[in-house]
Amino acid sequence: MRELNKIVAKVLSIDEIKVNDSLTMKNTEQWDSFNHLLLISEIEKELGITFSIQEVEKIKSFRDLREIVSGKGR
Amino acid sequence: MSIKTDETNKKLSISDYFSLYKKLRNSKNFGKNKKSIKIALLSSFTANGIKEALFVKCSELGINCDFYVGGYNQYSQEILDKNSGLHKFKPDLAILFIDARSIFGNNYLLPYNIDENRRKRFVEEKLNEIIPLTEKLKSDSTAKILLHNFEIPQFSPLGILENKQKFGFVESVEALNSELRDTFKNDEQVFVFDYDAFCSKIGKNNAIDYKMYYLGDMKLNLQYIPELCNEYMAYIKPLMSLAKKCIVLDLDNTLWGGIIGEDGLEGIKLGPTPEGRPFMEFQQYLLSLFNRGVILAINSKNNYDDAIEVFRKHPHMALKEDNFAAMQINWNDKIENMKALAEELSVGVDSFVFIDDDKANRQMIREAFPEINVVEMPEDSSLYLNKLMDINDFNTLQITEEDKKRGHMYVQQRKRTEFQKSATDLTEFLKSLNMVVTAEKANKFNIPRISQLTQKTNQFNMTTRRYMEEDIKKFSEDKNSLVFSVKVEDKFGDNGITGAAIVKKGKDAWSIDTFLLSCRIIGRKVEETLLAYIAREAKKAGAKRITAEFIPTKKNSVAKEFYKNSGFNMAKKENEKEVWEYDLKEDYKFPDFIKFVEK
Repeated sequence: MRELNKIVAKVLSIDEIKVNDSLTMKNTEQWDSFNHLLLISEIEKELGITFSIQEVEKIKSFRDLREIVSGKGR
Repeated sequence: MSIKTDETNKKLSISDYFSLYKKLRNSKNFGKNKKSIKIALLSSFTANGIKEALFVKCSELGINCDFYVGGYNQYSQEILDKNSGLHKFKPDLAILFIDARSIFGNNYLLPYNIDENRRKRFVEEKLNEIIPLTEKLKSDSTAKILLHNFEIPQFSPLGILENKQKFGFVESVEALNSELRDTFKNDEQVFVFDYDAFCSKIGKNNAIDYKMYYLGDMKLNLQYIPELCNEYMAYIKPLMSLAKKCIVLDLDNTLWGGIIGEDGLEGIKLGPTPEGRPFMEFQQYLLSLFNRGVILAINSKNNYDDAIEVFRKHPHMALKEDNFAAMQINWNDKIENMKALAEELSVGVDSFVFIDDDKANRQMIREAFPEINVVEMPEDSSLYLNKLMDINDFNTLQITEEDKKRGHMYVQQRKRTEFQKSATDLTEFLKSLNMVVTAEKANKFNIPRISQLTQKTNQFNMTTRRYMEEDIKKFSEDKNSLVFSVKVEDKFGDNGITGAAIVKKGKDAWSIDTFLLSCRIIGRKVEETLLAYIAREAKKAGAKRITAEFIPTKKNSVAKEFYKNSGFNMAKKENEKEVWEYDLKEDYKFPDFIKFVEK
């Protein structure tokens, strides 16, 4: 999962240490709707997985993201 | 902060560009590059990422990039309203990116809800919006305009019968594209960007990421934005005078497989075999670059005789000795050779692209000459051709006949120099060249070249006045001006148009406003021939004298003594500017070994 944390940190321009389950779209200014899509696009590319449109809409926090990614075997 | 994104073959992802963009914006060197460009992006959807990726790519080349992004789908208003943000911004380059979905609206997925006639009318209507809009932008701005064409759809509700329709859906998009291309074919300000070809290149199935399209109205997959920007760079480089002129090539494992010194003429891989074909085709494409005007040169560690034998004897060499303007084939180090090539060709190393299969050599050259584009060649020679095709450094925004011939002319120059070395007496040498100098009054064919020469000529340029095509045209229409170009031919070939002059005809005195020659021609009495021509014409018109200025610059010292050595007297000196005079009582003689033709 280190890779996932790295991507999140890069896209949202935050320290990797701050990437944890408490991170949400609501409490993170940079995590706007565009960066959300950028994040999804980068994760798909780097980890070789795909999200459904419903999943993308459902993800509101790092925890949601982590759970869905691990559900895909990564 | 300097960044090179192509030093390794690892492709950066779009988010890397976003990060680099932030870093560069916050670095203390932000905005301190020598060159600057203002780019406006007008699009029919929210095209995020283009600004960031272009900014980074421009920074790599030392260009500050100021960006204006038009409002979402506001391109018409932006163009039509003279007080819009777009016009206030005054872009150097305006990208007009309208996508097929936006323009077709509901007809995109329901193309056959309207009949053939209405489909035709629809295309006409759209052309009647886009073309006048582009013309309007053109007339209200000096920007070069990059007008996207439309992605040709790869689907049809009619399936295999699509091509049987009268003015079908696919055909209607093709018609749009071909009309746009034809409309702007000869336009110097508007360039139709082949977005359809770009989509084909990346694969139309990849071009759109449906999820992102539904979620964020992205008409192009974010991950392909950097590649799109690469295509835009092909226009930005010549616009910023950063186009390259010359490819410097290694030999072993670059032009052929194997090492000539070890494998011998029969052993190297080159020709119609699985391992030989990649090198053969690589050479063929280099040859076609040469034919469009790119100069070729060699920088190789080899025994000269071994290497030259390949050029002379190998049946599958597409490139011959005659395609190379300079060759450094020896055991000197490649850095020294590179300097020698620059000197021999009298071009700066900043106009070089270097191709070498050896990683260490590439690194060495990159460190010694950061201004050279060192191509990161793939390990596998089967990928060479594609890598070569991807280099977009040689573009010019317009191509003159001289540009196309440049590769050839540099080769002729090498032969001339070799011949001169073997000649002992300069006059004898010049006589044996059988030179023909043609002066041609400005006309629509040579005006672009005359303007280009005033822009580019630095050394033998008496006044270094830079003129746009429009200026030259005005001079040529003024009956009190004499404007002409100069073409030089000799037994080695045609040098093309390599000189020009602008003379203002006064009653008593004719004054030379501009007098310039390309440096590869000077010292061959062509300059005297032109003075003789001007003097003859002036005398014919009844003038008593010729006045001529010399304005010194950092680069034109070679021309400093010219008027003095040509029998002119200094009339006055104002600051740096010298004014010289020639009394027409005495005829100015044409050099007798040059044939002069007036057109």
